[in-house]
Amino acid sequence: MALNFKQETFRDDYSYSNSAHAIRRFPFPFAEDQYMYSVNIEPHTKGEPGSVYEFPFDIDEHYVAECLDKEITLMQDPGRYHALPHMMDAQWDFLELTMTALANDYPEHFSLSRNGQTWTWDNKPLGVCDTFTFGDSSTLVREPFDYIGRQVQGDFVLLDQRDGTLYADAGIVTSQADWSLAFNVGMSWKEWHGPVPRATEIGVMDRALKYLLNLQLANPVRRLNWTMTVNPRLDTSPENYPYWGGDRNKVNTDNVGDLVNLRVELQSLFRLPRSNAIVFSIRCYLMSLKDVTSYPRWAKRLHRVQKTMHPDLIEYKGMTKFHPIVVDWLSKFDDGAELGIGTHPE
Amino acid sequence: MNMIDVKVAAIKQVTPLIKHFTFVKEDGSELPSFSGGSHIVVALDADGRTYRNPYSLMGSPTETDAYHISVRRQENSRGGSAFMHENVSVGMTLKITHPVNLFTLAKMAHKHILIAGGIGITPFMSQIEDLKRLGVEYELHYAFRSYAQAAFVDELKKSCGSSLYCYGDSDGERLDMQGLLSWQPLGTHVYVCGPSPMVVSVIETARNLGWPEHSIHNEQFLSPPVGEPFKVQLAKSEIEVEVPAEMSMLEAIEAAGVKAEYLCRGGVCGRCELGVLEHDGGLEHHDHFLTESEKASCRKIMPCVSRSKGKRLLLDL
Amino acid sequence: MERGYWIKSKPVYTSLVWHEKATSHLVLATGIGGMAVLKLFQQMHPRQPVTVLYARYAQMDADYSETLKKVVPENLYIFKFEEALLASLKEILPDTRMGLRLYVAGSEGFIWDVAGVAKQFGIDDAEIMKELTDTLARSVYCVHCKSVTRNVTTNIVPCCGCERMLFVRDHFSRNLGAYMGLMVDAESPGELPAIEEIYP
Ligand code: FES
Repeated sequence: MALNFKQETFRDDYSYSNSAHAIRRFPFPFAEDQYMYSVNIEPHTKGEPGSVYEFPFDIDEHYVAECLDKEITLMQDPGRYHALPHMMDAQWDFLELTMTALANDYPEHFSLSRNGQTWTWDNKPLGVCDTFTFGDSSTLVREPFDYIGRQVQGDFVLLDQRDGTLYADAGIVTSQADWSLAFNVGMSWKEWHGPVPRATEIGVMDRALKYLLNLQLANPVRRLNWTMTVNPRLDTSPENYPYWGGDRNKVNTDNVGDLVNLRVELQSLFRLPRSNAIVFSIRCYLMSLKDVTSYPRWAKRLHRVQKTMHPDLIEYKGMTKFHPIVVDWLSKFDDGAELGIGTHPE
Repeated sequence: MNMIDVKVAAIKQVTPLIKHFTFVKEDGSELPSFSGGSHIVVALDADGRTYRNPYSLMGSPTETDAYHISVRRQENSRGGSAFMHENVSVGMTLKITHPVNLFTLAKMAHKHILIAGGIGITPFMSQIEDLKRLGVEYELHYAFRSYAQAAFVDELKKSCGSSLYCYGDSDGERLDMQGLLSWQPLGTHVYVCGPSPMVVSVIETARNLGWPEHSIHNEQFLSPPVGEPFKVQLAKSEIEVEVPAEMSMLEAIEAAGVKAEYLCRGGVCGRCELGVLEHDGGLEHHDHFLTESEKASCRKIMPCVSRSKGKRLLLDL
Repeated sequence: MERGYWIKSKPVYTSLVWHEKATSHLVLATGIGGMAVLKLFQQMHPRQPVTVLYARYAQMDADYSETLKKVVPENLYIFKFEEALLASLKEILPDTRMGLRLYVAGSEGFIWDVAGVAKQFGIDDAEIMKELTDTLARSVYCVHCKSVTRNVTTNIVPCCGCERMLFVRDHFSRNLGAYMGLMVDAESPGELPAIEEIYP
């Protein structure tokens, strides 16, 4: 099915919105009334047709607008892309993985033809068509990771595996939930996860690392993470915090449903073949609280999860200022009826 | 673990003890690319059981129309290598895992010293391809019993040129480890694969010279050792499994139809780790994964290589 | 900082102790760091060759160069400025072999300047023994304009690049040799918490 790409913005006038179809397929992350911080890693296998899990890299109606937003962010701050020199093999691995997946899963929008090392990539929605030599960076306008990273929704970090840990040695990061690539590049797993609150279960990060060190080719994994963002803004980076931080003061009882967005990250990890590196893909989905309430089941669930959140986590996710307003607003949608386990909308 | 079906396309007797196998995809399509130093696990059904043995991939990581492995016939083989030598023939189909790399090159090193003993040359065969492609400085030091029995010397001469140094024991040629490792520029990493005395000697020499730990790498796959038979009870599956002397605990568990995790089957990766709930008489740890204190606690075991000292184990599986 | 909350990115510094296993030793220090070098030689004079580079500048009133001359038998080089010491380090390392052990004593800024040079020669900072002397002053990286403000002793500091008031976080980047500074009053302009000297 061909996608209808929307014209919309993730900054200034924030014209971003979700169609009924996008709402329905939203990766709602709460299966139970209580939220627990955990590793919750599962195999990234093919999901239901139409769901965000159908393909390894999900492309949706926001694709074109999101790529445009990425361009703006990268133009204003080239430091959002960084790759240490030893990551070149991983860059080509990433390019192969994403181009192959997109051409295979969305043939009406993307195509890739390979003739030995000479590849032609045709990206119709963005109007990009290039022929290059696989493995030779000089045949592309940018480094391979930068080139294709701009053409896939989401953020990507390439992790090098050595000395029994993972190092974040390359990244293209324009829609992050408050962490800085320029600051974090080259960090080991432990350093990277330095500022995580106590409320996170002890040992969670160590166990996740152990698991990822053994991640296998052709067996990617995924997990969901979430937070809330004021306005449908992709670039909630620390770099631009002076420009968006003040928005947290604007939330009130009347506008909370429109202004506050549930922000869900579909994080997936793939082992790369030639470099033995890992791609950490962070795909961001935004949905206003009002849209969440299109499905009463979701509204009730969200209310209960938020009501019982640990204050440390609320602080960690930067929601302290507006969180009480959110809980109060959501309470109107919660009749207390029992909900079964599961994230489904109805 | 999803396996790949391959067909044996060619078998070559390289030396009296070593056979080289070429695998291709059954449908002729390409196999996955991999990184130098990777291995695959080959699954073989024979005598009513499944052998799963890890072997290093030898070809160039960029040529993926075929995979290449070499198997040395082990004396006292528990079956795996003997079976590969005697029963595997051209045209047969086998199942293999996707490549896994537990012996990677350090990408930030300024120079690489590779030291191989005998059949330990295999993981380096793919690594030198990566090193040549990346244009990084390296030396390959290859020690063996005799030129007559050494595999791939001519091939290596051709591909490594002056970066290859050979040492034939029967010709009185010895590798001077101390000399080699005391005169390397900063940023050098050393890698060793071969018989265990050689591995130990490289590690010790480098350490004594003050090489930092992270610049010393070794690959030492263990074949599951033969031991005394014992019983394992699986707490969750609620079954009891006999582990015969010449079978590993992991193989016995798999043979009983219980799904168990694994990657290397050589005591290195840590994937197969199981919790020990009860034991009578201690554990016989053979792996390189658990720390000394974990081993002493007797609460964890790596069933791919380790065994029970007593008659019975209760596992959390 | 909260109790029991250990930020893993924060470097841990120790006292200098000779590595027993080594081919040669290279000791670098500034200012009060000279004392750490003297203590090192109190432990023993190693069998392997030792080179000491010392810069007096960091704190004028703490100059150990005279005492060092008496204690360090040979290969002692004294510099007036840190920069000259680092330049000399760059000349020494290319001719050095594996088995070299590095020891650094001085301010955090100096330690990570040395680590930065060593990295170019394939030496990982984890291999360097580091002793923090002189001061707890921090280098602070402004996440907004990317400038680094050096010698910060307070919890909040104006950025030397963009002049925003930065809160000094406990998150450290080895690559940059600096702590993260984040605008403190972005959500409520002009509202500043008390500024206190906590890294004297
Ligand atoms: S399978 Fe790797 S340690 Fe057992």
